Amino acid sequence: MPLVKLYANLRKLAGTKELPITGATIGAVVNELVKRNPPVGEVILENGKLRQYIVVTLNGHNTIDLETPVTEQDIVAIFPPIAGG
Amino acid sequence: MAGWSEKILDIDLNTQTYKTYPLDMEMAHLFIGGRGLGARLLWDMVGPEVDPLSPENVLIFTNGPLTGTGYQTSNRFSVTTKSPLTGTVLDANSGGFWGMQFKKAGYDVMIIRGKSEKPIWIEIKNDAITFHDASELWGMRVFALTQKLGQNNNKRNVLCIGPAGENLSRIAAIMNDRERALARGGPGAVMGSKNLKAIVIEGKDRPEIEDRERFKFMLYETRKLLAASPLTSQALPEFGTVVMMNIVNNIGALATRNHQQTQFEGAEAISGEELTEKYLVKNSSCWACPIGCTRISRTEKVEGEGPEFESTWAFGAQCGIDNLPTIIEANTLCNDLGLDTISTGSTIACAMELSEKGYMDSDLRFGRADQLAPVIEAMAYRQDVGSDLADGSLRLATKYGHPELSMSAKGLEMPAYDPRGMQGQGLLYATSNRGGCHMRGNMLGPEVLGLPKLIDRFQVQGKSSFVILHQNSNAAIDSLVLCKFTNLGVADEYFARVLSAVTGIQYSTGDMIKVGERVWNLERLYNLREGFTRKDDTLPPRLLNEAPTDGPSQGWVVQLEPMLKEYYRGRVWDENGVPTPKKLAELGLANLM
Repeated sequence: MPLVKLYANLRKLAGTKELPITGATIGAVVNELVKRNPPVGEVILENGKLRQYIVVTLNGHNTIDLETPVTEQDIVAIFPPIAGG
Repeated sequence: MAGWSEKILDIDLNTQTYKTYPLDMEMAHLFIGGRGLGARLLWDMVGPEVDPLSPENVLIFTNGPLTGTGYQTSNRFSVTTKSPLTGTVLDANSGGFWGMQFKKAGYDVMIIRGKSEKPIWIEIKNDAITFHDASELWGMRVFALTQKLGQNNNKRNVLCIGPAGENLSRIAAIMNDRERALARGGPGAVMGSKNLKAIVIEGKDRPEIEDRERFKFMLYETRKLLAASPLTSQALPEFGTVVMMNIVNNIGALATRNHQQTQFEGAEAISGEELTEKYLVKNSSCWACPIGCTRISRTEKVEGEGPEFESTWAFGAQCGIDNLPTIIEANTLCNDLGLDTISTGSTIACAMELSEKGYMDSDLRFGRADQLAPVIEAMAYRQDVGSDLADGSLRLATKYGHPELSMSAKGLEMPAYDPRGMQGQGLLYATSNRGGCHMRGNMLGPEVLGLPKLIDRFQVQGKSSFVILHQNSNAAIDSLVLCKFTNLGVADEYFARVLSAVTGIQYSTGDMIKVGERVWNLERLYNLREGFTRKDDTLPPRLLNEAPTDGPSQGWVVQLEPMLKEYYRGRVWDENGVPTPKKLAELGLANLM
């Protein structure tokens, strides 16, 4: 089962740093995450799409395509809007 | 003219005298203020024959036409000098309160020349300039000195050096308002070489604003935009800059153990999330800043500002240390001693690698949190092993026969982003006029965060145009002088509009970018005059030849050469990186060749 890692205020909203979530694509994983944690959905989705400034990586590689397939061993990291220098 | 005070304060420490004279307004229109104006003045005053630590070098403090007006983040100021660390043109800028006070004292520029025979400090109350004996203050640390000289936010602000500057450490910072720093490139050593311990300012004049109604509207619009952006209204205030730790580590671009790896297994333990949960006391902010990214952190031993992301990385991942309280304490110690945290941490990391490989006889080792504070103290006082480290990693590594282990560009230690995982960042470091730096432009936005749009961080072709755009934009912002975080919520266009409102001169976005390009080319000319060439636009061999063996950046090295060629073409420079006469004429710089 893919492992979803959450960062910054998403951790507070989800009550955890990481959780395994079933899904064949990034989009399926995100939808399941949001179903389980609606407050997370309010932060990361708008009209079913990722909001501006939300960063999703698959095994450390940025991805914006929600149709990207995921496998059992994959790690999906989701970052809310963050900035720094 | 509104915006500028049109006045330069010129202080000669040889004679402890000063004079004031009008600012050349044609020059001011071309270079605005801050970094740009500083570079233009330095061009005339300090040539290749000048040793950076000799009395002939100068410190040029500048503010900008927006400084002190109350526009969001209009608190910053710059110092320009020839760097004792790199030999390049150097500007460093800082926030806090001192810059606003400097502007209210009625000056756009303050030039410090010569060298005082004995330690001295200067007190400025608008037109009243007083020279005080600093013999009894020499040796004092920054926090105690700042308090003793009467630091009082909004009324009386202190800028000073600590022991590191007195001992001419080439990585010494100038500190202001206790814990803000003009950090990079060693300006603290230049101040120390002049026997100048502190400059205290009380200003009483409100800067003139030409079109107050238009300015008030710009204040309102900017406030609205900063509040609407989740970056400036939520992300930075809630987690500070250290929140970058986990994402940069996640993508395999977190330089670790002197850039031997690109991911740090202890990143989570030194992250912004950890800092916020366990050590954050409260937020703080610079004058006129609604963002408030500053952290006040507390451990059992210290309470102070920071640490920022770069400082946390330098003492953390770069040194293989995952003990956050120790990192917070190292950051505070550097502030008290007056040291640049990035260069200090990265120089310690370089020493750790030299020692582990047997090139240097010391017990410094990666991961040894207990060694941080003692070695930082030793660096500031040039004691024991610290005497080798006090002048930065390149001189250290060269002394021990392995200059390739200095993770620097043009001699300035690079920040946290390992460019093997961010190709554009590599080009930025290699071409930065003050050396390896993330504040002359930063590809973090487009290459990682998707700001304004995500581009492939491993892509090489076409990357130079983004780099040039960022470099020019940042040079313009540094010349205004504003905080770059403002730009996360407010487009460049607004800076042109508010500058127009304050000065009464109509500036377009294109004009501002042109200012940035002019400043960049002038700095380039300065470095060329100092003897820098194309071969200095490079990176440590490790980043060009050694690919990470695991993680998301596995197999990548920086593809510098093709990006550099494209960059020179994009800048309209020749194949040796020399600005063409055509470009210089276009920028109004032809008379400098």
